[in-house]
Amino acid sequence: MEAHLPETPYMTTQHAGLEKEIRYVTKPFEVKHIRSLFEGTDPIMHEIAFNLISGDQVEVDRLTREALARGFEANAVLDDGLIAGMAVVGIKFRDNIIFVPEVLIAARAMKAGMAYIEPILSESGVEPVGTVIMGTVKGDLHDIGKNLCIMMLRGAGFVVHDLGVDTKPEEFIDAVLEHGAQVLGMSALLTTTMPNMGRAIEAFEAEGLREEVSIMVGGAPVTQEFAEDMGADGYGKDAIACVDMARALVGVRDGSAPLETAAGAREASS
Amino acid sequence: MSPIHHAGRELDSAAGMTIFDYADSLSVRVPTSCGRSGECHECIVEVRSGMEGLTPPTESERFLRGGYRLACQAAVAEVDADVEFAVLRRQPRILTRSVRRRTAPAPLTERRGSGVYFGEERVDAYRDGIYGLAVDVGTTTVALNVVDLERAEVVHTASFENPQRFGGSDVMHRISYDGGEHSGELRRVMLSAINFEVGEVCRRLGIHRRRIYEAVFVGNSTMRDIVFGVDVQSIGEKPYKSLTEVELEAGERSTTALEVRARDLDLRIFPGANVYSPPLVGCHVGSDVTADLMAVGMNEQDDAVMLVDVGTNTEVVVGNRLRMMAASCPAGPAFEGGAITYGMPGYDGAVEAVGLSEDGAPVRYETIGGAPAEGICGSGLVDLLSELRRTGRMNELGAFNDGAGEFYFAPDRDMYVSRADLSALAQAKSANFCGQWIVLRRYGITPEEVSRLYLAGGFANYVDAGHAVSIGFIANVPEERVAKVGNASLEGATIMLTSGRAREAAEELVRRIEHVELETAPDFFDIFVEGCMFKPMQMPRASTGAAAP
Repeated sequence: MEAHLPETPYMTTQHAGLEKEIRYVTKPFEVKHIRSLFEGTDPIMHEIAFNLISGDQVEVDRLTREALARGFEANAVLDDGLIAGMAVVGIKFRDNIIFVPEVLIAARAMKAGMAYIEPILSESGVEPVGTVIMGTVKGDLHDIGKNLCIMMLRGAGFVVHDLGVDTKPEEFIDAVLEHGAQVLGMSALLTTTMPNMGRAIEAFEAEGLREEVSIMVGGAPVTQEFAEDMGADGYGKDAIACVDMARALVGVRDGSAPLETAAGAREASS
Repeated sequence: MSPIHHAGRELDSAAGMTIFDYADSLSVRVPTSCGRSGECHECIVEVRSGMEGLTPPTESERFLRGGYRLACQAAVAEVDADVEFAVLRRQPRILTRSVRRRTAPAPLTERRGSGVYFGEERVDAYRDGIYGLAVDVGTTTVALNVVDLERAEVVHTASFENPQRFGGSDVMHRISYDGGEHSGELRRVMLSAINFEVGEVCRRLGIHRRRIYEAVFVGNSTMRDIVFGVDVQSIGEKPYKSLTEVELEAGERSTTALEVRARDLDLRIFPGANVYSPPLVGCHVGSDVTADLMAVGMNEQDDAVMLVDVGTNTEVVVGNRLRMMAASCPAGPAFEGGAITYGMPGYDGAVEAVGLSEDGAPVRYETIGGAPAEGICGSGLVDLLSELRRTGRMNELGAFNDGAGEFYFAPDRDMYVSRADLSALAQAKSANFCGQWIVLRRYGITPEEVSRLYLAGGFANYVDAGHAVSIGFIANVPEERVAKVGNASLEGATIMLTSGRAREAAEELVRRIEHVELETAPDFFDIFVEGCMFKPMQMPRASTGAAAP
């Protein structure tokens, strides 16, 4: 049994700024989960998380390098600093406390830290939560929303291979096979290119590979109904929902509080 | 019994009465040309509430989506429903200020003796005047000039709301719509609306519509091609090119300019009139920007200048007469009245200017026409954002410093901007920002090196340039170098209507323009994030060199 939560949130960290941020998390099970992310970790991780939430890419860049130089494992910096910070961002976004611009600068700060973490992780062969292929479909050059999803997915411990924009069906197929990905995420921002998602799914069927991979779709014009019509396994209306969907598709049941695909989650217009 | 509302007025509803009947009773002008039979599709109205209280859509309304009906078809079924409707063809504010370049006219159509000649061809007997029509077909607004070609003088300017809104508010939705089962419908309603407006203008001027012997149409690639009946599907997908551009590259045509006869377009002017549209710049950047460039005299500029034509789709061109780069930025309708809680286009009653003070004094605002505030338009939003920043009420990410969820810009009318509104505005602003930033970098100059910034289109004419710079809506070019050029597209179209030489110069010009694909910049994400912030644009001080991506 966990200790009863006191009226005044107890402190997990010595970081006043981070403590203030954590107070935006109000659902009891989420409070417990978020606190557990910071419990007993080094103050530099709290510093990284706080600066990520504030969107300060310069500080996240500097602190990530500092933490690695001090001998912290890349994995620890990722989990205890960047991912822990992103978890707070996700909840604040879902609960309408912050909006797209604030999520974007947090994602940019995360990207600054990931630039150091990723090369180390890909060499060390650490077991990821899952492997996801992401790309914007053929004919479409928009990728702000997709990039946001990728940051959030990496923040949730996925290894993500980004195929960029204007991705042909065969490029999706090749990447899924090459990386043995469990999940494929496709994005479209234009009503004119949205049907290309369905065409890519048909290509997987034609190759007899549809059972090999779970396919999720998203993007401003995409709807649940459209996703079902074209035979996708999941639809996410924003970057938070994208992470939840990916976790569900790879069957994550690790007891940590999921970021629900809450009714309160809003559209991340990309 | 519940009332029917229109623009703040109301009438008691009675079963069986159509919206058209109510419009008549309220003396609201609704266009029609088919005797209210549902055939002309001109009487589209937006039903803002109470749709469930109306009769179900009829067969002739099948092309409409969402909250739109034909006024002649929609009748009251449920007298208890509270129905509110708005006529689509509201009168936008007409841009009267624009650069009037003194170009020597070199008309293609002229009187010679008793005949009217187009070039060497005698097209008609001269009766009582030779007129021309210049039309700028915008995604949101259509503007037109009727020109006395004998005197090379604009005799009337009119503008109206683009009637294609039921097909979506941006070009991509219109392309999808046009590729669907109601293909051709967008063209039909546009031509109907233009014919209607031309009729009204001719009546007012006391001229016969057959005295209009020539026309020039400009518009972004999608709008223009829809008018000319060119299939627009290729513009919807990468590389986003007009069929005319595809054919030009394949050597099947020598220009993307179009030329047809009025009768082939169903344009009701002189049936044999030549209807011309200048060449496209490329991809989404259409003949409206070609017209912009002619209006600002790009073909005579030696120093680097920048043109920003602000709209649902903003276009940016940087360069001089020898070398230019252009890009299209899909900003969306946030600054044009769409997607914002109390947003509206620049019609009467729109808040167009806002002033705040630090000491808690009430908000000062002005509306177009001095009417009671009905909403806020683009120039008002730019003012508001800049003032919220200047007075320390909002941070650069669009969060209110007092933690509030909204700010009342017209407290007397209970109107506010919410955080979600600010988020949408930040993203629309960023699209404008990215276009300018990336094209400047590609061209290899900084804002300080821009000798003139021409601000064209829509609400840009009413925008406070200093405020626009302070939030990074436009590049931080010194304010005295910012020139507002009004509806430069319409001006350019008018120049080309009165001068064959200008058409040749336009052909020359577009060949020197390179199209820049914004999204392919490797750091597009970072630039977009930067652009979401309400603060002045910052670029590296030194020129980054033309080799930069």
